[in-house]
Amino acid sequence: MQIGKPLQIIFFIIIGLIISSFFLLASNVSPISGILYMLYSGFGTRIGVIATLNDSIPMIIVAIAIIIPFTAKFWNIGGQGQYLVGSIFATWIGLDLAGSMPPAIVIMAALLLSFVGGALWAFPPTAMKLYFGTNEVITTLMMNFVAVYLVDYLVSGPMEGALQRATHAPSSSTIPSPDQLFYLHGVNIGIVIAIVIAVAIFFLIRYTNFGYELRLMGNSNIAAQYAGAPLKRNMFQAMLLSGGIAGIAGMVQVFGLAHALLLSELSDITTSFGYVAIPIALIAFLNPLLTVISAIFFAGILNGAYVLEVVYGISLNLVIIIYGLIMIFAIMGVMINLNRVTKLFRRGRKNKLVEAAKN
Amino acid sequence: MNFLSVLFIFSMAVILGMPVRAAPIFAAALGENVDQQAGTLNLGVEGMMLLGTIVGLAVLVYTGSYLLAFLIAGLSAVLLGLFHGLVTITLKADQVVSGTAIWFIGWGLSGYIYTALFKTTEIVVKPVPDIYIPYLTNLPYIGKFLFGEDPVIYLLLIAGIGINFFLYHTKGGLNLRTVGEDPLVAEIMGVNPTLYRYAAIIFGGFMAGIGGAYLTISIVGAFEFDMTAGMGFIAVALVYFAKWKPYRLLLGSLAFGAVYVFYLTIESYLPSIPYQFFEMLPYIVTMVLILYVGSRAHAPAALAMPYIKEG
Repeated sequence: MQIGKPLQIIFFIIIGLIISSFFLLASNVSPISGILYMLYSGFGTRIGVIATLNDSIPMIIVAIAIIIPFTAKFWNIGGQGQYLVGSIFATWIGLDLAGSMPPAIVIMAALLLSFVGGALWAFPPTAMKLYFGTNEVITTLMMNFVAVYLVDYLVSGPMEGALQRATHAPSSSTIPSPDQLFYLHGVNIGIVIAIVIAVAIFFLIRYTNFGYELRLMGNSNIAAQYAGAPLKRNMFQAMLLSGGIAGIAGMVQVFGLAHALLLSELSDITTSFGYVAIPIALIAFLNPLLTVISAIFFAGILNGAYVLEVVYGISLNLVIIIYGLIMIFAIMGVMINLNRVTKLFRRGRKNKLVEAAKN
Repeated sequence: MNFLSVLFIFSMAVILGMPVRAAPIFAAALGENVDQQAGTLNLGVEGMMLLGTIVGLAVLVYTGSYLLAFLIAGLSAVLLGLFHGLVTITLKADQVVSGTAIWFIGWGLSGYIYTALFKTTEIVVKPVPDIYIPYLTNLPYIGKFLFGEDPVIYLLLIAGIGINFFLYHTKGGLNLRTVGEDPLVAEIMGVNPTLYRYAAIIFGGFMAGIGGAYLTISIVGAFEFDMTAGMGFIAVALVYFAKWKPYRLLLGSLAFGAVYVFYLTIESYLPSIPYQFFEMLPYIVTMVLILYVGSRAHAPAALAMPYIKEG
């Protein structure tokens, strides 16, 4: 990576923000001041920063989770489903053990089970990819939709809380407060879990044999095979770990922030951490430590957009547009320079080949 | 009512409803098929369809013209497609990543435009009227099914036959498939891979937009947030299932149409089973279908590979 590269990418992300700001015109809001107000509300005030940090927690964890297979160019788009199933398992054990066990044990059990739940959801697409060669993007996505309807069924059926039934807001019963993850100066302690996971995965990818093999597989499966990497075993481990960590995000969300299993609608960006994790991980170059920063950036945009919604009545869908545009402009920022350089080298060689073919 | 008559009514309902439900998937999958044969994997279909849903609805509400509604819905999705093309063909970025970004943009835009234009009022539109051919449409059982659909379905059918002919029986189709198999060989043959890939992406975008517009205008009659609910991804899966053959695509789409009508109809017959399990059906069927095809399908060799000119 050239030295100017990060600057170039940041420049492109700013262009993406400016372009998305023009959509504010449709709601009769001045674009530049609107987008600045959004950023100010997300990052400029004390309340804003606290809300942003809290919202970033599940985003960080799911983004770290999907980084592991992404490193090997295995596109796990199923973070959302794995996150949801993790939260189902966590809620179930949390409500089941509530009161009968000390909080520490409940929390440990929930962490463990949410990991198992997420890994369970990551298993079928991985097995299908490795043994039948199916496209993992499609299978992981399909698992997301199944998970959404599973949660829908559970919170309006077997797991529906009595209180929640009365208020017609489909969700499970509340996790009792002794078991909940506590807040420190307004920020949930789940952020510590998120950062511990980030650091651990950073070391896993950078400094272990397994991580090295994953990176090798990301460059070329054939090269990795020659280097003696057990492709199938690595892929399974990477995907189960990925699903498990995404599941832990569900546990942190249930025990720390939401305190119950909530209905997760397809169209609702505020509960779709699994999807938001994709741009977060990608603009951080799949680096777990940078992911913490980019997740906070994305969470800030979401929080700023809440304020815009309240003040100007702007649809929260703006956030999804901004995420998409940031993602695509960040890729442009990555590709543009590299392209110009390689073109100069390659033009001459290709012409020779075309000439040779003609003769 | 005895069991047989229930079964008969039920299967008639499924067969009669099938083409309408199949149409948006078939439209999007046909575009994706051409896309993929030129070597571009377009995962943004979902976003393009979503953009088509709102643009089609809005244009229909403001102009009252079905033709304009479908046309502009298609063109709006083409714009997203060009964006995808710029990033993946010209800048050679990863197609999965770019497709995901396109999906996000279309997803956000659809909800944003609806809220900006119509606030919270629900807009309801009438579907495209069905055609009526004297005598033929009145034939018992098959009349409605074969001769009484709306014009869009027949146009899609013609498009499907046309694309099948183009891909497998013309020089242009051969060129396009060569670009998808090996862009370098295509270039040596004197074919411009960039041009073909852009053309394919424009066609793919247009069809996805039409599929989306059909969903709002002719099936639901109104806009819902994220109303495609994965239909675009199912279309991508269907292309794998069809092994890049448009006629198999038609069969697959009809099968999916049947799945949708099946669960929407059976929900009311079996209220004891929670409806969410029926809602899961299309996604589970998709997984089973592409599991069945698996690695036996021969994908275009250069699928999802950017064409980097080198010797």
